[in-house]
Amino acid sequence: MTGFILRRLAQLIPVLLIASFAIWAMIFAVPGGPVGMMVGENATPEEIAAATRKLGLDRPIPVQYFNWLTHAVTGDFGQSLHSRDPVTKLIGERLPATLQLALVSILVALVIGIPVAITGAVKEGSWVDRLLNGWNALALGVPTFWLGILLILLFSVELRWLPSASRYVPLWEDPNQALRSLILPGLTLGLYVSGILARFLKASLVSEARADYVRTARAKGVSERQIVGHHIMQNALLPFITIVGLMVANFIGGAVVTEAVFTYPGLGRLLIQAISTRDYPLIQGCIVVILVIYMAISLIVDILYAVIDPRIEYR
Amino acid sequence: MLHPVPGSTGAAPPLLSLEDFTVAFAQGAGRTRVVHGIDLTLQRGEALGIVGESGCGKSVTWLAALRLLGKRAVTTGRVLLNGRDLSGFSERELADVRGGRIGLIFQDPTSCLNPILRIGTQIGEALRLHRGLTGKAAEREALRLLDRVGIADAPRRLRQHAHELSGGMNQRVMIAIALAGEPDVLVADEPTTALDATIQAQILDLIRDIRRDTGMGLVLISHDLGVIADLCDRVAVMYAGRVVETAATQDLLGSPRHPYTRGLLAALPSLEGPRVRLTPVGGTVPSPDAMPPGCAFAPRCAYAEAHCGNGIPVLQPAGTGHLSACRRLDALMGEWQRQAAREAGRHDPVVQDLDWPNRDRQRELSA
Ligand SMILES: Nc1ncnc2c1ncn2[C@@H]1O[C@H](COP(=O)(O)OP(=O)(O)O)[C@@H](O)[C@H]1O
Ligand code: SF4
Ligand SMILES: [Mg+2]
Repeated sequence: MTGFILRRLAQLIPVLLIASFAIWAMIFAVPGGPVGMMVGENATPEEIAAATRKLGLDRPIPVQYFNWLTHAVTGDFGQSLHSRDPVTKLIGERLPATLQLALVSILVALVIGIPVAITGAVKEGSWVDRLLNGWNALALGVPTFWLGILLILLFSVELRWLPSASRYVPLWEDPNQALRSLILPGLTLGLYVSGILARFLKASLVSEARADYVRTARAKGVSERQIVGHHIMQNALLPFITIVGLMVANFIGGAVVTEAVFTYPGLGRLLIQAISTRDYPLIQGCIVVILVIYMAISLIVDILYAVIDPRIEYR
Repeated sequence: MLHPVPGSTGAAPPLLSLEDFTVAFAQGAGRTRVVHGIDLTLQRGEALGIVGESGCGKSVTWLAALRLLGKRAVTTGRVLLNGRDLSGFSERELADVRGGRIGLIFQDPTSCLNPILRIGTQIGEALRLHRGLTGKAAEREALRLLDRVGIADAPRRLRQHAHELSGGMNQRVMIAIALAGEPDVLVADEPTTALDATIQAQILDLIRDIRRDTGMGLVLISHDLGVIADLCDRVAVMYAGRVVETAATQDLLGSPRHPYTRGLLAALPSLEGPRVRLTPVGGTVPSPDAMPPGCAFAPRCAYAEAHCGNGIPVLQPAGTGHLSACRRLDALMGEWQRQAAREAGRHDPVVQDLDWPNRDRQRELSA
């Protein structure tokens, strides 16, 4: 097992190298270049030269990349051009908030999606199934910003149960307060993703239910409940893990709309802000962090797969 | 093998019988019928073969009888187990029958086992359900069963998964699972079709051995008369969802009384000398939604006449315990007997003398 994990980690290194080069090279795509960003439009040639030296842009390109990389691996992406704060500090403030929201959202999605999928699969073709299909279509069809605003209007403005703007409160410090500010954005994201998960899981449950081993289980007298829970579900969970992993990964940088509606301090919004201000060290930092989390999740998915599916050799 | 004479009166009811059993599949608004009212009986300890080309309704009949086909399959008629109609059984009682009174094995054993559960778990499941065994007791019994079906190194195999075993071994595992419930009858649906010849003979030998030891009944379904002939006391030939001929195995092989059965026999590879004067059948089984009127075999039948299309032929006596559903039965029996006599005169082995070579052939293969 350890060997399997180490091998998978080693496979990630070339991917990371190539990706990091692309991320670094981004600075040349910024209009006016990094120097232009730093000194502004009316800079004198002297100012430009000074900035160029300061940024190390007068050195050969491989050296520039190497310098950036050696700093990046220690978590140093430089300063934000905008706030002058270290990029690491800015990301460090947002990352826990994002992870926390991702966790709550995926839990909401699973708690809604799994029962919907199982019920739909067991009652396939019945009115219950059609009802649930409609529910999934609704979950997928309602725009996130609209649902978010609706929830705020209902629970914050009308009923005054929950805050409309979500602060970041660490779960382990004050679980009650944390959940109060997570529940609405978590529902907004989770409901949408529950539609995706339920559709996927139902399809794979239905296709597993047709497998020969299910007929064997029935033929040896296993009850329907155990056939679904013990035989079909376990097999259908394999491909499902991949989708759940993908969804969690998506929450890391892709929850921009929800974060904006609830003014939640997440990574997605930080990245959008960085892009709109052309704050390239911050953009680079965000993208690297998102990429690393993607890879970590895909590694976890692979490990889970290897643990659950005996057909995968990991020794 | 001792077993009661079929049809003996006053005795206990047959172990299993189908009476005017039909199966249809819901298709959009309508239904497509694929099994058209068949009668079959199986006495305790008897081995019944069901033969016919692919698509004749062999599998559907037995799966539907045990209500294993889901809601889309609609059945009529009766399925009696020891005289009790299964249609009155609750899901719970049915679960006791499945795997408990009636064991099933299928084609393609590897896909019939759950890919992510250990072999031991899958045998243990049947032991728990039908014998109430768990833990150490279940493990001991699972080991004994694996040993019984001829799997060496049983303790290690218990911990393995289907993909780590060969197809033949997986079929042995399937047999072990079926035996776990100590059933009265094993329904084996094409149990050797997916396996190569040597393994096929071994699996058939294993089934024969187990039957000798336990007296378990057998319903052996196959498209291959050779496989059936080797193991069964009696054979029912199915064509397009009907039984078209049934007889004791030797009778059926020695004097087939239906053109379709004769075609199946002709298609068999025979090893030494005897060349049987029969024409194999060309063409294919009609699909259930395009059934010819009258005799369903007519479009392929070398003996068909115009009146074969008028009404469906019913099973009628064609010898002792021998039934055949052919409108031209009387005429053809005469014709076949004359033909047999001619061939006997020429010292050419004939249908009646057809010595069944298959058993010996398989002995050779497994040696
Ligand atoms: N689930 C199903 N739905 C609709 N038709 C089916 C289904 N299963 C089998 N059939 C049809 O029933 C007929 C008999 O099939 P089957 O019993 O599997 O044949 P056999 O076992 O003799 O090869 C075939 O025409 C087949 O197409
Ligand atoms: S009834 Fe006619 S078509 Fe059918 S098997 Fe007999 S001879 Fe052939
Ligand atoms: Mg079949």
